[in-house]
Amino acid sequence: MQPNSPFSPVERLRRLRETRLGSFVPVLLALAAIWLYFGIALPLWEFWGDQDATSIRFIFLSPRNIYNLFMQSAVIATLAVGITVVLLLGEIDLSAAATAGVCAALLGVLVLAGIPGWTACLIVMAVGVAMGAAQGLLIAYVGIPSFVVTLAGLLGYQGLMQKILPTGNLNISDPFVRAIARILVPDIWGLLLATLLVVAIAALALRRQAERKLRGLELDTATTLWGQVAFFAIIVFAAVLTMNAYRSVPLLIILLTGVTAIVGWVTTSTPFGRSIFAVGGNAESARRVGMNVKRIRVAAFGIVGLLAAIGGIFGASRYGSVSYTAFAGGSLLLESIGAAVIGGTSLFGGRGSVWNAILGALVIGSLGNGLDLSGASAADKLMFSGAILLLAVAIDALSRPAGNGQR
Amino acid sequence: MSLENNKQVGPAAPPPRLRVAGIEKRFGGVHALKGVDFEVARGEVMALVGDNGAGKSTLMKILAGALTSDEGDFFIDEKPVAISNPHDAGALGIQIVYQDLALCENLDVAANLSLGAEPVKSGWQFLPRILRPLDDLEMEVRAQTAIDRLQVRTLKSVRAKVGGLSGGQRQAIAIARAVGAECSVVMLDEPTAALGVAQTRQVLDVVKRLRDTDHAVVYISHNMRDIFEVSDRICILRHGANVATWKTSETTADEIVVAMTAGLDNGANNAA
Repeated sequence: MQPNSPFSPVERLRRLRETRLGSFVPVLLALAAIWLYFGIALPLWEFWGDQDATSIRFIFLSPRNIYNLFMQSAVIATLAVGITVVLLLGEIDLSAAATAGVCAALLGVLVLAGIPGWTACLIVMAVGVAMGAAQGLLIAYVGIPSFVVTLAGLLGYQGLMQKILPTGNLNISDPFVRAIARILVPDIWGLLLATLLVVAIAALALRRQAERKLRGLELDTATTLWGQVAFFAIIVFAAVLTMNAYRSVPLLIILLTGVTAIVGWVTTSTPFGRSIFAVGGNAESARRVGMNVKRIRVAAFGIVGLLAAIGGIFGASRYGSVSYTAFAGGSLLLESIGAAVIGGTSLFGGRGSVWNAILGALVIGSLGNGLDLSGASAADKLMFSGAILLLAVAIDALSRPAGNGQR
Repeated sequence: MSLENNKQVGPAAPPPRLRVAGIEKRFGGVHALKGVDFEVARGEVMALVGDNGAGKSTLMKILAGALTSDEGDFFIDEKPVAISNPHDAGALGIQIVYQDLALCENLDVAANLSLGAEPVKSGWQFLPRILRPLDDLEMEVRAQTAIDRLQVRTLKSVRAKVGGLSGGQRQAIAIARAVGAECSVVMLDEPTAALGVAQTRQVLDVVKRLRDTDHAVVYISHNMRDIFEVSDRICILRHGANVATWKTSETTADEIVVAMTAGLDNGANNAA
């Protein structure tokens, strides 16, 4: 029907983003570029520029640094996964970091009061859901734009965190909470887990293909099928082997992957997730087919609240303390929104994936880490982060279908 | 009812699938519909024409349950029914395809066709329905069946994103979504308004397929050529009232335009 004209670069980009693996490409390229620059280009440059240097020092790409990078990015990634869910709806949440701060502070106070760590964790997760859902109720039923509600939430929750932590800082020594970031999975278990995951993915893909054949549906080409499995396998094994080379896979990373897998599954493979995409793509359409758009909005904000609480627990566990600047008062919020957007989730709703948010968090984390290592100032870091974010949003805007480009 | 019956319209025609009588609707001081009668039978395309503001869209929305009429009677197969909301209309097998189509461009064809009624895999009863795994293969099978039934040949894959499809294909998918549910009356609002020649052709073919599969089709349009190609009868509204209902084969475009704009003095030739 349509003329088969050669595609313009923008058109190519758009088509690339439509495919399943294609949506990973821009963020992976960004990650590769940053790693190449800080990991290889910069050390080589220093080596050749300095007569006294005896050997090249690949600090950035050392297993130790990569390990730290994963750990540093974990909190950002958890929040970014949550924020992705509301971005899919076409909404935004500015209060995620403040929610995480309140939850972490509450966790600290609870364990100090002698409540067992796991109970405290469950309580703050419930509190996080309530905080998110409360904002969702205002957005869906009162009809206030999410930007305004969550901006109010950001301010209010920052204040609330200061009320809970008058000193602005609290050490956490509860063994359960600390264990989340401290426990390392033995090397062999890490590898076993990775192998199991890859085998499971391959088996699922093959079974799906067989079912498709049985039902007479169009089949994926063998290249696509095995390409997906190989892609997945490379990422999993590279991550596990790198972390094993320094220490081992931390429990924190496994928990993060598990949480992301659950949220990813809910958003892509359940009627609820489908309704999130439908509302983000065309809310009127979702309403006409009988979806309860308001309830979906509230649920999505509840999910952000839950993930913010989990992010707060992860943060408290990793730092061993809760401080105002580490959560509500710092750059965590903008970094996690940035991570979601850099990952390729559209600010306009309906397009994106929680897995991309993890990669986006790695981009943000790598940038900060690399600039730190090369001795850049805080000012440079801010400016670089801004540039990367702008680039990501520009790619998003260019790759949107032309039809609904005006809004 | 078979194709032969399409020719027998007028007083001798088969009983209509959907009939309404004496529909009144006021919006504040505006008297939008003044006792309108309308009917459509299975296996028939009934065109609904009228100038802007004649009440076509209002009538259609009342039939779809999106608006409630102030007065008037509804009959399905000559049995009185009540239509007060879209759910009623859907339960009676009345579906409407709005001009804006309301498709989710970020989802693929299969997802759009089962939107709101996604099939889920069995065996996950411990989860609430909205959290059970989607049976996306079943979804694709259903979509393929719906597309095949309407013979949309240009559509290559039900896994294509709607955002990348042509206007005619989108219209066809919107129609397929409406027809997919238990549906006997399909109302199409200006389905070819924004389309080129080839795309229009495609949509008209889909409309003919609907008639051939024994649906009652209501077709709103301004385009006389499309109407004369596809419709069996034409119902003309003017200033919120019936002007006439004519058999398409017994009238001309000029006659219709005159009736639409200037009205009609005598009700001769009336096929309703």
